[in-house]
Amino acid sequence: MRRRTAALALGTAAAMVLTGCSAMSPNANGTVTLNMVESLTNPSRTDLLKGLIADFEKQNPKIKVNLISPPTEQADQKIRQMLQSGSGVDALEVRDITVGPWSNNGWLYDMAKDLKGWQGWNAMTENAVKASEDAKGRTFFVPYGFYGLSLFYRKDLIKDAGFSKPPASWDQLLKQASAINDPAKRRYGYAFRGGANANSNATAIIEAYVADKVDLANGYKLKNGRTIFSAPEALDALKTYLTLFKKASPKSSVSWGYPEMVEAFSNGSTAFLLQDPEVIATVSESKSISKEQWDTAPLVAGPSGKTVQPLATAGWGIAKGSKHKAETVKLIKFLSQGKASTDFTKKNSLVPILKSATEDPFYKTGPWSSYVTMTKHPDTYLNVSQPRGVTWWSEWEQKSDADVQKMVTGKMSPKELLTGWDAYWTKKWEQEK
Amino acid sequence: MAPAAIFVAVFTYYPMIAGSQMAFRHWDLNDLTDTSWVGLDNFHRVFSDPNWGTVLGNTGAWVIGSIVPQLVIGFALALWLRRRFRFRGVYQALIFFPWAISGFLIGILFRWMFNSEFGVVNDLLQKAGLIDQPVAWLADPHKAMIAVLIANIWYGVTFFAIMILAALQSVPDELYEAAALDGAGKARTLFQITIPYIRVTLVLTVLLRVIWIFNFPDLIFGMTGGGPNNQTHIVTTWMIKITQQGDYGKASALGLLVVAGLLLFTVFFLLATREKREVRS
Repeated sequence: MRRRTAALALGTAAAMVLTGCSAMSPNANGTVTLNMVESLTNPSRTDLLKGLIADFEKQNPKIKVNLISPPTEQADQKIRQMLQSGSGVDALEVRDITVGPWSNNGWLYDMAKDLKGWQGWNAMTENAVKASEDAKGRTFFVPYGFYGLSLFYRKDLIKDAGFSKPPASWDQLLKQASAINDPAKRRYGYAFRGGANANSNATAIIEAYVADKVDLANGYKLKNGRTIFSAPEALDALKTYLTLFKKASPKSSVSWGYPEMVEAFSNGSTAFLLQDPEVIATVSESKSISKEQWDTAPLVAGPSGKTVQPLATAGWGIAKGSKHKAETVKLIKFLSQGKASTDFTKKNSLVPILKSATEDPFYKTGPWSSYVTMTKHPDTYLNVSQPRGVTWWSEWEQKSDADVQKMVTGKMSPKELLTGWDAYWTKKWEQEK
Repeated sequence: MAPAAIFVAVFTYYPMIAGSQMAFRHWDLNDLTDTSWVGLDNFHRVFSDPNWGTVLGNTGAWVIGSIVPQLVIGFALALWLRRRFRFRGVYQALIFFPWAISGFLIGILFRWMFNSEFGVVNDLLQKAGLIDQPVAWLADPHKAMIAVLIANIWYGVTFFAIMILAALQSVPDELYEAAALDGAGKARTLFQITIPYIRVTLVLTVLLRVIWIFNFPDLIFGMTGGGPNNQTHIVTTWMIKITQQGDYGKASALGLLVVAGLLLFTVFFLLATREKREVRS
C-alpha cells in the first residue's frame, strides 16, 4: 500500500515537473511558448494585444504567446517580483520610469545587437529611435508609442462663460477655469491632479514657465546647470498652480489620480483636463458629454508663449532570464512595425512611433489635431527629455507627490516645496558624478 | 503529525524566517546591486521616518476608535436581535450582510459616499440643515481619519453582533426569570447576569478584533490610500506602501515590529484576563 502511494506521489510529482518544464522548453513538435507581461493594463487594450498576438502566432506557427495582464495599479510591482525570481518572463512592458532600476538590477536584456541592421528602424520617428537607446547605447526596450500632454476642454462651457477660444497659456487657463467653476451647480473648472503622479502636472507648469531657459536634454535642468526648481519663474508657476486648485478645482481633487481626473471630465463635471492622448478613446465613449461638447487644444504655454512637452514613453523589452530571446526579438519586431504598430497606437490612442502615421488622416482631424499642431511647431512646444530613467525615480515620485499634497492642503508653501525639490535634485546629481 | 509539522514549517516558518532576514539587509528592488547586511539600519529608518509618529498615533486611534463603538453598538444590536419579534430573521440577515463584503470594496463605496462634491453624506447633511456647504471629508487629514473610522465602525459592528448574539443564546432563561423575581432592573440584569455569563466570549472577541483591526489595511486603502499627505496611514497600510515602493528591507523591519507588537499585546491581554478569571473563580 505504502509502495503504491509512493509511486503515485512520484508519478504526480514527475507529471507536475514535466508540465512545468513544458512552458520553459520547446515541446516535442518544436513549439515555443513565450510569457509576455503587460503593465498599463486595461480590458480593451488587453483584447487589442491578444488580437495582435494572434496575428503574430499565425505568421509564426512554432511560437505561442501567453499574455499575462496584472491589474495596472500592481502591475509594475508584480513584474518586479517576476523579474527578481529570474524566470517565467520573456517579453515585458518596460516604461521610461522602470527601465532605469530594472536594467540597473540586471533584469533586462540588451537587444542592441539583435536589432542592428533591422529595417524597422528606418520607418520610425527620430523620437522613437532616440527613446530606444540609453546613454550607453543599449536597447532595453523598443517604444510602442508616446504619451504627451494636451488640454482637453469643454467647448460649450467656455462659450457659456464668454470665451471665444480655449486657453493657450496657464494664465488664461486659470482665468477660464475660475469663471466656469461653480460648486453650487457641481460644476468645476479644472480636474486637478493631487493624488498619484501629482508631481507630473506641477512640473509641467514649472517647465512651461522656464521654457526659455530649460536644457532640452534634461527637462529638470536649466541651461546654466542648476535645477528648474531654482528659477524665480518656478515660484510664479507654483503660485498660479495653487490658485488654480483653490479657485477652480474640486476640493476632493487633492487625492485625484488618473482615474478620478478622467472620470470627472468624462462625466461632465469639470471643464478642463490635462492628459495624455490615450484619454481620447475613453472620453469618446462618454455617455454624459457628446463629441460636439469637447475637444483638445495644445498644451498651455508659460509667460514666454512657449511650453515644454515632456514625452513619456513605454515599450516592449526582454527579460534577461528568458530562454527564448531569439523568438522574443521576433515578437518585438512584429509589434514595432507595420500594421501591428499602427493598430496599437491608433486603437490605444498614442502618439505613433512610425513616420508614416503623421500622414494618416486619423491623426489630422478631431482631438488628434492638437498633437499635429504641437509636432509642427517644435519651437513653441519644445520636446525635452525628463530624467525618468534614473534609479531613484520611484523615490522622487513618492516624495514629490506627497509635497504637492502638502502644498495644496496648506502644510507647505510653494517656496518651501521648490527649495526641497531643488536640494533633492542637486544632491542626486552631485552623487551621480 | 510529522507531515503536518513539515507542511507548516515549509509554508509558514521558512518564508517567515527567510523574509525576516531582509529586515537586516539593504533590500531595495529599485537597486539590488547592493544587498549587504545593514544591521538595525532598516529599523532606524522606520523610527526616524517623519511619518512614524503619525502612523503610530493613527494606529492607536484606528484600533481604539473602532473597537469601542463596535462593541457598544454590536452589543446593543445583539440584545435587540435576541428578542422574539416578527421578521427577526430578515433583520438579522440585513444586519449581518455587510460582513460578507470585502473591506476594500467597502472602502471604495465609502470613498464615493464621502466625496465632497457628489457624495451622499454631504447631500444628506445639507438637506438636514447640519452643514451650509459641502465638507471636504477626504481632503482634510483629520476629517479623513474620522471618515475612515465611521466606515470601519459600520463594517465591524456586525461581527460583534454575530458573536455576542451567539453567546446570548446560551444564557439560560431561568437566570433572567430568577432575576426578575428578585426585582432586578434591566441595567442590573445586564451587568450582573448577561455580561458575566458571556464574559469569555466578549474577551476573546475583543482580542480577535484588536488583532484583525490592527491588521486591516483594506478599508483605508480603498478609501484614502493613506492620504492626504500620508496622514491616514496605519502601520499596515504604511508597510504596504513601502513594499510598493520596492523598499523590502524597511517594510520587513516594520513587519517584524508588527509581529512583535501583536505578540506582546496578546500575551498581556490574555494574562490580564486570566488573572481576573482566577480571582472570580
